Amino acid sequence: MRVNKVDPFSLEIVKDSLIAIGDEMFYTLGRTSMSPIIYEVLDYACGLTDAQGQLLTQGHGVAGFIGNLSFMVRDTVKKFAEGKNLSPGDIIIINDPYSGGGSHLSDVGLVMPIYYEGEIVAFSANKAHWTEVGGKDPGSFTNDSTDIFQEGLQFPCVKLFDKGVVNQALVDIIQANVRFPDLSLGDMWAQVAALRTGERRFQELCEKHGKDVVTASIENLLDHGEQLARKELVSLQNGVYEAVDYIDSDGMGNGPFRIQVKVTITDDQFICDFRGSHPQVLGPVNCSYTTLVSDVRTIYLAITNPSHDINDGVFRPLEIIADPGTIFSAERPAPVSVYWESGSAGGDLVWKALAPILPKRLTAGHFLSVCAVTLSGKHHVTDEPFLIVEPSVGGWGAGEGQDGVRGQFCIGDGETYNMPVEIAEARYGVMVDEYSLRCDGAGAGEFIGGSGVVRSYRAMTDQQAVTVTFGRNKFLPWGFNGGDSGSPNEFYVEKANGEIDGPFGIYARYPLNKGDVVKLVTGTGGGYGHPFNRPAEQVAQDAKNGYVTVEQAEQKYGVLVDSVTYELRGETSERAQFRQ
Amino acid sequence: MRVATDIGGTFTDLVYVDEHGDIGVAKSPTTPPNFEQGVMDVIEVSGIEKEAIHTFIHGSTVIINALTERKGIKTGLITTKGFRDVLEIARGNRPDLFNVRYHKPEPFVPRYLRLEVEERLNYQGEIIRPLDREQVKSIVSYFQQEEVKAVAIAYLHAYVNPVHEQLTVALIKELWPEVHVTASHEVTKEWREYERTNTTVLNSYVKPTAASYINKLQGKLKENGVDSYNYIMQSNGGTTTFAQAKETPINMVESGPVAGVYGAAVLGELIGETNLIAFDIGGTTAKCSLIDKGGVKVSTDYYIERSERSAGYPIKVPVVDIVEIGNGGGSIAWIDDAGSLKVGPESAGALPGPVAYGLGGTKPTTTDANLVAGRLAARNFGYNVDLEKVKQAIHETVASHFDMSVEEAALGMIRIADSNMLNALKLVSVRKGYDPRDFTLVAFGGGGPMHAPILAKELGVKKVVVPTASSVFSAWGMLMTDLRRDYIQTYIKRLGQLDITEINQAWAALEQEAWQQYEADGLNREAVIYTRFADMRYVGQEHTVKVQVPNGEWQAETFAEIVERFHQLHEKTYTFRLEQTETEIVSLHVTAFGKVQKPTLKKLEKTDILVSEAIIESRPVYFEGKGWVTTDVYDRHKLSPGASFEGPAIVEERSSSTVMHPGQSLTVDEYGNLIILTGVN
Repeated sequence: MRVNKVDPFSLEIVKDSLIAIGDEMFYTLGRTSMSPIIYEVLDYACGLTDAQGQLLTQGHGVAGFIGNLSFMVRDTVKKFAEGKNLSPGDIIIINDPYSGGGSHLSDVGLVMPIYYEGEIVAFSANKAHWTEVGGKDPGSFTNDSTDIFQEGLQFPCVKLFDKGVVNQALVDIIQANVRFPDLSLGDMWAQVAALRTGERRFQELCEKHGKDVVTASIENLLDHGEQLARKELVSLQNGVYEAVDYIDSDGMGNGPFRIQVKVTITDDQFICDFRGSHPQVLGPVNCSYTTLVSDVRTIYLAITNPSHDINDGVFRPLEIIADPGTIFSAERPAPVSVYWESGSAGGDLVWKALAPILPKRLTAGHFLSVCAVTLSGKHHVTDEPFLIVEPSVGGWGAGEGQDGVRGQFCIGDGETYNMPVEIAEARYGVMVDEYSLRCDGAGAGEFIGGSGVVRSYRAMTDQQAVTVTFGRNKFLPWGFNGGDSGSPNEFYVEKANGEIDGPFGIYARYPLNKGDVVKLVTGTGGGYGHPFNRPAEQVAQDAKNGYVTVEQAEQKYGVLVDSVTYELRGETSERAQFRQ
Repeated sequence: MRVATDIGGTFTDLVYVDEHGDIGVAKSPTTPPNFEQGVMDVIEVSGIEKEAIHTFIHGSTVIINALTERKGIKTGLITTKGFRDVLEIARGNRPDLFNVRYHKPEPFVPRYLRLEVEERLNYQGEIIRPLDREQVKSIVSYFQQEEVKAVAIAYLHAYVNPVHEQLTVALIKELWPEVHVTASHEVTKEWREYERTNTTVLNSYVKPTAASYINKLQGKLKENGVDSYNYIMQSNGGTTTFAQAKETPINMVESGPVAGVYGAAVLGELIGETNLIAFDIGGTTAKCSLIDKGGVKVSTDYYIERSERSAGYPIKVPVVDIVEIGNGGGSIAWIDDAGSLKVGPESAGALPGPVAYGLGGTKPTTTDANLVAGRLAARNFGYNVDLEKVKQAIHETVASHFDMSVEEAALGMIRIADSNMLNALKLVSVRKGYDPRDFTLVAFGGGGPMHAPILAKELGVKKVVVPTASSVFSAWGMLMTDLRRDYIQTYIKRLGQLDITEINQAWAALEQEAWQQYEADGLNREAVIYTRFADMRYVGQEHTVKVQVPNGEWQAETFAEIVERFHQLHEKTYTFRLEQTETEIVSLHVTAFGKVQKPTLKKLEKTDILVSEAIIESRPVYFEGKGWVTTDVYDRHKLSPGASFEGPAIVEERSSSTVMHPGQSLTVDEYGNLIILTGVN
């Protein structure tokens, strides 16, 4: 084996350098992007793969992209005759949802072969959410499309750069087909800059250490990842674990849809079998198989070791099975633009199935949905068109020894930042009336579910439209080990005339006029353990902080709290009896 | 006489310069919790006359410690109605992506002490709803009842118009004069309500700590007959008065570390080098910062307790850009689950410290590896070093695992540590578009001189400077500082829509504000020097590039010049420019220096000591690719200006040691600095 010829420290140093390259690419893209969805939400990922498309390192802002890059590269390798039809300086563009690491059309991938001494030694790749790729609605992703053609431009793995020369015809087509071409093309340039950074740094690494050492380090990196994962796997209790849940609706009035998983854990395998889940549906809540892979990988990492350096070696023990053409493995031309609803639900099923055996690693269910909001209209001062595209924070589930986290982005997001109110009010035709915790007392437990939030946008001009995609509106974040379930994601519209409409979960283009308020309310997470086991002093403090009311303290927790001073007054007989 | 004292975890350092330009240094143990005693002790040790101290400059970790140890005061927060939870929701980000048991940083003010009042401005700073003063009054009595000791006020859009915050402050001061109050506009005038609110809260939280600390120090100085002008080192690389430091102590958060960076800039100026990388290795961390054309880089993108695992807490005050990694002399070597060698971030600290200290440490550290490889001498430790024990620790943890010799394993540890530090050095240089060949590395701290010559070579830096006072370099830097205040105002304007009169007024207003504060400090107009920066971006981008822009009245043609500067900087930093895209200013930033009189440093006189007489011994040292090489070891204090020799060589001084590799050469300059050519062409 060649690995043995290289000293172990050089391997380690090259490995660290590879990881640093992934981080640097990520940084470059984020700092140069034009779109809030990229620089605030960090809805993108950058990485390097080996010549076969195995992921070596990934800099990422959201969990949902874990897995997409290698599929993209493999598709590129396949389409261009095992790489023979590629040249130095080529850059491939790809957003096909059904293959090539696709999620939805808005996530546009770029792939660049890296050459050294005349052959491909690696690929530099990234994928970023463009604010606009055309399609029937502003912001492109929508919740009432019925086929892929309504969702925007498709880039079927074609050359954007040929030997370093940009394909101007393609750029012109993009320019003509998207609503905010400056944003989309600006992001495209940012992606190109990041790819080139990756290329340059990788070549420098080969210069410095020699190709053989770099190749050996790559093998070592992947094996290292696999060993770490296997070590964790052995510590898990072997067995077969099952879970069933439902996806609310497809946005077209259909649903709910039954989904299921059977997880089999052996000493060297982790198999997630989703067969038997609902077939693909009319509305865009379907996801492709690669999305399912990303979401399952996320929870697999949470279970095996959340602080892994990510590479394809880590995922070698993982197998994911789905029937073709299901809500988890949609086929052309099924709509997929809000794919995360089913993808996250797939990951959540595995989470739910394994929580009972892993109370120290996993928590109760959380608000789960990306809770996407698209709001468009004209600015009240500048009269310029604006477009808000943003995910929402919500409540996380409680776990053994830990209350649920309040106001945090869902698992599919990650290093994602909410939009500051002061920036939103300057840039968009809205005012924010409220951004606060939703302290509804849901998710009661020994450890209490984290609060969702309330965010209210007041329209400052007429003829605005808001599209809201809030899953987990009917089927709540699940409680765990005696804890209560959480509360739904939902929104209301409070009209200027005082009328209140709602609650809704998924709604396309709700019209807003000046003075109307859309009140976005995300769910509180599930609780853990019986509420009577929560220490009474703690409950009194919760009441003082307003996380629960004095009434809830008594009814749910059996704790009597003074309604003025919030001092502890005693406990109910039910609680006393339970605790005996 | 100017005297600087820097309180560190273990030692309080002192450096002074007298009227003749002569420099002296002293060290004495830090004395928690009565830190002022350590200051008096070190003054005593230095032997200087207390009456002769004209200017006293002080750096301290008291603020950062109060924050990280949660030793501040019970603080209440007042916000705009509807927004009290902004402090807790924060930005909602989760750096630890795959951890479903992520712990969100807990806010410094619990929910029951976060209260709201009716008041509202729009983004243009216009009043939409006036301040409800009655609500402020009832909040005051609630806070009094809850025994709150400090109040923070943060209203939406106060960065544009602070009127409601000012009214609230006035009202609280009238009702409750003894409480500590901070309003957001007093600490930062940048947008983003969470960041501004958190900064305000943290300032309030440490205000009483700062006040009592500074008062005690001042009292002690007076009591001992020191009648000096007193200044505190701030995170922006300049100093401020004791009085100002008590108002906005949050500006002291990186008091110590930045002084070293500033010192590097001053040293560079003295020896004719303006492009520098300051590099400081301590016991637990390594820090680096890049100085471009003499300018220390300052930004407000600063966090405490932020890591790959935690979102941390933002503090929007000007802080010198420093990259810090968990690799220092005390960093522990370990083998991970899959059998790879790692060094740090866990550190053996000062206690038990490296195995070599013999104070109970059993885990091998970078310092231990340097000892085994012959780079450090056992006699220099100040402890009874049991070399066999050190070797045994390296053998057990590293060498046996890889089935190699102890010295190979020690070299492996050094290489891994070097690789970590090299990544940090790249982060501030190549990754920001700078070519290391244009830079000189200034190495200080206990471990800086030991690792710097080889790291500089790897990075592509030609020259390394090891300053005379390298082990007390932060204090040396403080000695050289001027007063500094930064004024940053969010000011969103597209270049195309910029009105010359308005922008000139905006600049003038900032400079006027600066002047008024300096005038109150008793400075002359000539002593105040302004530098202007505009934080700029392409319209649509979020992140900005800091562009230095002309002083004085702007004309129409100034705009074109600024835009071109921005394009160039953007391309340098991010590899591309967008000629057709409109540019936009986000913030105006005025740096106002209050220049103070400083003695000129004296050049050293040559001594009669020959270079060969400075050699203490020749001992075997283990180098990569060379194995054991017999190496001359020099006593730094015997090296005369002008002395020069070739590597491999080691230069020893108390508490640090410079390691030159084969092919490198060294000269002692006229100030006593070691100038090393790294072998890069």
